[in-house]
Amino acid sequence: MAGSRRQGAKRRWEALLARPLLLPPSAFLTLSLRRLARAHPEAFVRLGEHAQRIYLIAPTDLPLAFCLRPAGTEGAIRLVAAGDAPEAAVRIRGALLDLLQLFDGTMDADAAFFSRRIQVEGDTSALVALHNALEAADLTLADLIGAPRPTRDLVNRGLSWTTQRWRSA
Amino acid sequence: MGSIELVCPAGSPPMLRAAVEAGADSVYCGLRDETNARNFPGLNFSPAEMNEAVTFARDHGARVLVAINTFARAGADETWRRSVDTAVAAGAHAVIVADIGVLSYARQAYPDLRLHLSVQAAANSAEAIAFYAESFGVRRVVLPRVMTAPEIATLAKATSVELEAFVFGGLCVMAEGRCALSSYATGRSPNLSGVCSPPEAVSFETDANGLTPRLAGVAIDRFAADEAAGYPTLCKGRFEAMGDTSYLFEDPVSLNAMTVLRDLRAAGVKAIKVEGRQRGKTYVRRVTEAFRGAIDALDAGRDCEPFARMLTDLAEGGRETEGAYKRKWR
Repeated sequence: MAGSRRQGAKRRWEALLARPLLLPPSAFLTLSLRRLARAHPEAFVRLGEHAQRIYLIAPTDLPLAFCLRPAGTEGAIRLVAAGDAPEAAVRIRGALLDLLQLFDGTMDADAAFFSRRIQVEGDTSALVALHNALEAADLTLADLIGAPRPTRDLVNRGLSWTTQRWRSA
Repeated sequence: MGSIELVCPAGSPPMLRAAVEAGADSVYCGLRDETNARNFPGLNFSPAEMNEAVTFARDHGARVLVAINTFARAGADETWRRSVDTAVAAGAHAVIVADIGVLSYARQAYPDLRLHLSVQAAANSAEAIAFYAESFGVRRVVLPRVMTAPEIATLAKATSVELEAFVFGGLCVMAEGRCALSSYATGRSPNLSGVCSPPEAVSFETDANGLTPRLAGVAIDRFAADEAAGYPTLCKGRFEAMGDTSYLFEDPVSLNAMTVLRDLRAAGVKAIKVEGRQRGKTYVRRVTEAFRGAIDALDAGRDCEPFARMLTDLAEGGRETEGAYKRKWR
């Protein structure tokens, strides 16, 4: 009991200390999200009322989680320490590679859920809306990092090669 | 197109493009409202997207079938009529309809419009099909998933209307679309609201006991950490009765009729249909490629069974069945 209290306190301290370090990547990801919203406004329309919800996306192989509010050009992504996870409408957990493949649609979300590769909790309506909006937006990993349009195919091929090597390693 | 038309699902424009590029002859999709039976958040097409979809499909030698296949609500039938108008304006090859009133409107307003009878209408006898053909000029009937291949062969001999049969995807234990279970538990059902087990009624809990899916707050299953899961519909729930815990109605399992494709073609089936508009572009691309390959193999006199095992990981619960085509249940 005392051990788990100590562990909890340690995680909270780690989360507190990590916060300043996570601000710059959070700002970069927010800029990328807003750029996506300008390029693909139709995808955010599909989210409807769920655009203002908070989605917590937690890679199980990273000490971080992504706190997403996909409110179009007002949206934001905040990186948080895994032990500092805030309240969210939906929580999605899985390996980072699987989450990236769900983002660009190269992995079937239902199959990932059926096989238990990803775990989901919270408001299923919001989850379904996010899945359908991502599907309809037809995004690629190049969109995620904000690669310039002329370089997109090249960047996608490179990222695809890298992720395949990463998975087989 | 081969000897059998391959009809694939699209819940979004990229999914439609994926289906066409993977070899679908036709793609079916719906408008973003309660007039189609996959009325899920974020899914389906706006009228503008439908226009673009029809143009894209036509440019690639494929056809778009618009599903307007829920039953019109009293006092709100204008919504269903407007969907028919939108589909016609987009240039859809056909509309897939279940409701007699909507069929009547479509027939009268657009006499040349090709009408397909939705599986939701549950027509499985020559007499029922003849009624729809004579009354509304229905050209094709999508068959309920409760018929065996020999029954379909008998039916095909007794009708000149084209028959379309499901070959892949989810299964319903109820008469098609008439699910009292979803309505009883959540107040919404496939035939009235376009959703089975609507997502706002679904929740998942993960704890030390495993994954517990709930529908309208009621636990309907529990999966161990490494056990394949399914979407929480009541018909696929696992319950305790008489001291045993089991799937009382139906297992979480998907239809895969690849191995009876030859029988279906011999029975006189004109088109085969893949279920799953809510699944996504990876799903539709892989299923379309597999069935395209199987139809082409069949037409070339080769065995199509090698294609049957390419899709197991996409199945609900990771398991497949030939359903009623090789009936073990009714």
